[in-house]
Amino acid sequence: MFEWSDEQMMVRDAVRQFIDREIRPNIEALEHGDTPPYDTLRKLFATFGMDAAARDRFKRQIDFERAVADATERGEAPPQKPGRDGDGGASSLTVIPIIELCRVCPGMVTAMGVSMGLTSAAIMAKGTIAQKERWVPELLTLEKVGAWAITEPDSGSDAFGSMKASARRDGDEYLLNGSKTFITNGPYADTVVFICKLDEGNPPAERKVLSFVLDRGMAGLEQSKPLRKMGMHSSPTGELFLSDVRVGRDRLIGETEDVARGGREGAKATFQQERSGVAAMALGIISECLELSVAYARDRVQFGQPIGEFQLIQEKLARMEIARLNVQNLVFRFVEMQAAGRDLTLAEASAMKLYSARAATEVAMEAVQLFGGNGYMSEFRVEQLARDAKVLQIYGGTDEIQITHIAKDLLRR
Amino acid sequence: MNVVVCVKQIPDPADPGALEEDHTLKRTGKLILDESDSFGVEMALQLVDKAGGGDVTLVSMAPNDETSGLRTALAMGAAKAVLVSDPALAGAGALDTAKVLAAAIGRVEGADLILAATESSDGYTGTVPEQIAGVLDLPSITFAKHVEVADGTVSVQRQTELGYDQCESPLPAVVSVTAGVVEPRYPSFKGIMAAKSKPVDQVTVADLGIDASAVGAAGAGQQIVEVTPAPERQAGEIIEDDGEAHLKIIDFLDGLKVL
Ligand SMILES: Cc1cc2nc3c(=O)[nH]c(=O)nc-3n(C[C@H](O)[C@H](O)[C@H](O)COP(=O)(O)OP(=O)(O)OC[C@H]3O[C@@H](n4cnc5c(N)ncnc54)[C@H](O)[C@@H]3O)c2cc1C
Repeated sequence: MFEWSDEQMMVRDAVRQFIDREIRPNIEALEHGDTPPYDTLRKLFATFGMDAAARDRFKRQIDFERAVADATERGEAPPQKPGRDGDGGASSLTVIPIIELCRVCPGMVTAMGVSMGLTSAAIMAKGTIAQKERWVPELLTLEKVGAWAITEPDSGSDAFGSMKASARRDGDEYLLNGSKTFITNGPYADTVVFICKLDEGNPPAERKVLSFVLDRGMAGLEQSKPLRKMGMHSSPTGELFLSDVRVGRDRLIGETEDVARGGREGAKATFQQERSGVAAMALGIISECLELSVAYARDRVQFGQPIGEFQLIQEKLARMEIARLNVQNLVFRFVEMQAAGRDLTLAEASAMKLYSARAATEVAMEAVQLFGGNGYMSEFRVEQLARDAKVLQIYGGTDEIQITHIAKDLLRR
Repeated sequence: MNVVVCVKQIPDPADPGALEEDHTLKRTGKLILDESDSFGVEMALQLVDKAGGGDVTLVSMAPNDETSGLRTALAMGAAKAVLVSDPALAGAGALDTAKVLAAAIGRVEGADLILAATESSDGYTGTVPEQIAGVLDLPSITFAKHVEVADGTVSVQRQTELGYDQCESPLPAVVSVTAGVVEPRYPSFKGIMAAKSKPVDQVTVADLGIDASAVGAAGAGQQIVEVTPAPERQAGEIIEDDGEAHLKIIDFLDGLKVL
C-alpha cells in the first residue's frame, strides 16, 4: 500500500469534517480552558459508530473466552482460536482518526489512547472474564474514563526497580498505598489501573508486581487537579494518592497473585499498540506542520520575494517532506502488517516510536522557525503542535529507553 | 415505505471550476455528492426509519459511470442506486434530465415518495423535480421544510417568504426539499465499508428505452452562447468611529429603507 484506499479516504474526509466543525472552533476551550476532552471524544465515537463497533468486538471476544472456559470445565477440548489471518485493514479505522485528531489536538489522542488503549488493554490482557465484563465495555466506548498508573515521583524509566506503591494482605483483602504522578486522565478517571508491589516483608527487588482496578470515589483514593505542563493541554494529567485503600480480590487483575515473571512482563504487553500509536500521532503533527509551512512559505514576502524562494527555507520544507514520507511509510507498514496478521518486533516498534517522535518534534520546531515571530504566536497553530510534539519523546518510554529496547532486542536474537 | 432520492454528483465546489468549449461545466474529474442533496438523503433515511421498514434508493445521472457521490449517500445509509451514465447525455438540459431521471425512477419498484433538492449547487435551474412530477404525472410539492408520511398521504410544511403552507398529497408524490432543513448524518465507519458492496444499477439511455437523439445536447433545444464572470464584490465602506459612527449606520439603514 502506498496510499489510503477509497474507503479509507472517505473515513478520513468524514473525520476531518467532524474535526473542522466540532474541534477546531473549540480549540481555545480545550487547550486553555476548563473543558475536558471527553464529551467531544464521546461524540466522535458515537457519530462514527466506533462505540458500537468496540462493543461488538468485545462481545465476540468474551463469547469465545467463555466457550473456552465452559469446554475446559466440562473436560472437553476447547474451541480453536480463530487463526490470525489479519484484521482486513481494520487498524486503519483507529489510525486515521489518530492522525486527523493530531493535526489539531494531539492531547485528545493522548486522553483517548490511555483510556481505551492502555487501561482497557491491561484488564483485557490479564483480567478474569468477570473483571473484563465489569470494567472494559464502558472504557472502550469512553462512557467511563480510564487511567493507567505506573509512574511515581521516584520511579519513571526504571518503573519496576524503584516502585514504592504497595499492596499488603489484610485477611482476604488488600490495603493499597502509594502515590503516582504524571497520570493521564488521573484528575477525571472513573476507572484506575494501579500497579504496585506485593509487600510480603521480602526485599523490594523480589516483590511481585500486581495490578488492581480502582473506581473513582473509593475511600482513601485521592485524585489531584490537572498539573500545569508544557503541552498536551487538552489531556488532563495528574497525581494519585492512595492511603490504605481497601480492596477485595475481585479488584486484583486476574484474581491471582501467581503472575508470570513476577508481573514485570504485563505492562510491556501493549508496547506494540502504544508505540505504533505514537507514530500515527507524529504523522498527524508532521502533516499539519508541513501543509501550514508550505502555504506560509508561498505567502510570506521578505526582501521582495516569498520566503519559499530562500534556500534555507527550502531546506526546511525538504526535511519536513522527508520526515512525512518516512513516518507515513512506517504507519502504512504497520497497517499492512496488522492486515497480514503479523506483529512488530520489540526493536521495530521501538524504532518506529523513536524515529517518529524525534521527527515530529524536529518538524514542528522548524515550522515555528519558518513562521518567524508568527510561529511563536498561538494564532498560527504551529507553536501548540511544537509543544505537544515534545512529549512523544518522553512518555510511553523516553527516546533513550527506546534505544535500549532496540539494542536489547537485536542483541538477544 | 420506499423512498427514492434524486441526487446529483457535481465537481467539488472547493476546486476552481472550468468550462468546456461549449460553455458547459467540465465534469471530467472526480465528482462529489451535491451538498444540497444530502438533506434529501437524510430526510429519506429518517422517514424510512420512522416508517419502521423500507429502503432508500438513489437515482442519479452522471458522466463517466461516476459513483463517488453515490457512495457517500450509500455510506449514510441508502440501500441501492440507479445510475444513468451515457455519452449521449452530454449537454442535457433540465427537461432532458427530468425525462431520464423519471425513466430511471421507473426501474425502482414500489416507490412511495420521490425526494429531490429544490435546486442543484452547480446548475441552479430549480425546475427538475417539478418536471419529473410532470413526466410521471405525479403530484408535486416544492420547498419542503418538514415532511411526514401517514396512511398513504404526505404532509409537507412548504416554506414561504412569510412562514409555511401546510400541504397534503396522496402518495406517490414528488417533493423537493429545502437545503438546511435537517442535519445530514456523518457516514459511520461501518456504513463507509458497506457502501462499496451496495448495488448500483448502471444503465444507459437505451436501457431506459429513451431515444438518444431526443436527450443530451441534441435534444436540449438550447445552447449556451456566452458565459460572463459574476461581477466582483464591491469593497465595503469602512467608517472610523469618531464617536458619531452610529449616526452613519442609521443613515445607511435609512437609505436601505429598512428603518
Ligand atoms: C504528559 C505525560 C503523560 C504521562 N502519562 C502517564 C500515564 O498515563 N501513566 C503513567 O504511568 N505514566 C505517565 N507518564 C510518565 C512517563 O511515562 C514518564 O515520564 C517516562 O516514562 C519517563 O520517566 P521519568 O519522567 O521519571 O524520567 P526519568 O526516568 O527520570 O528520566 C530522566 C532522563 O534520564 C534518562 N534515562 C533514564 N534511564 C535511562 C537509561 N537506563 N539509559 C539512558 N537514559 C536514561 C531518560 O531517558 C530521561 O532523559 C506521563 C508523562 C507525561 C509527561
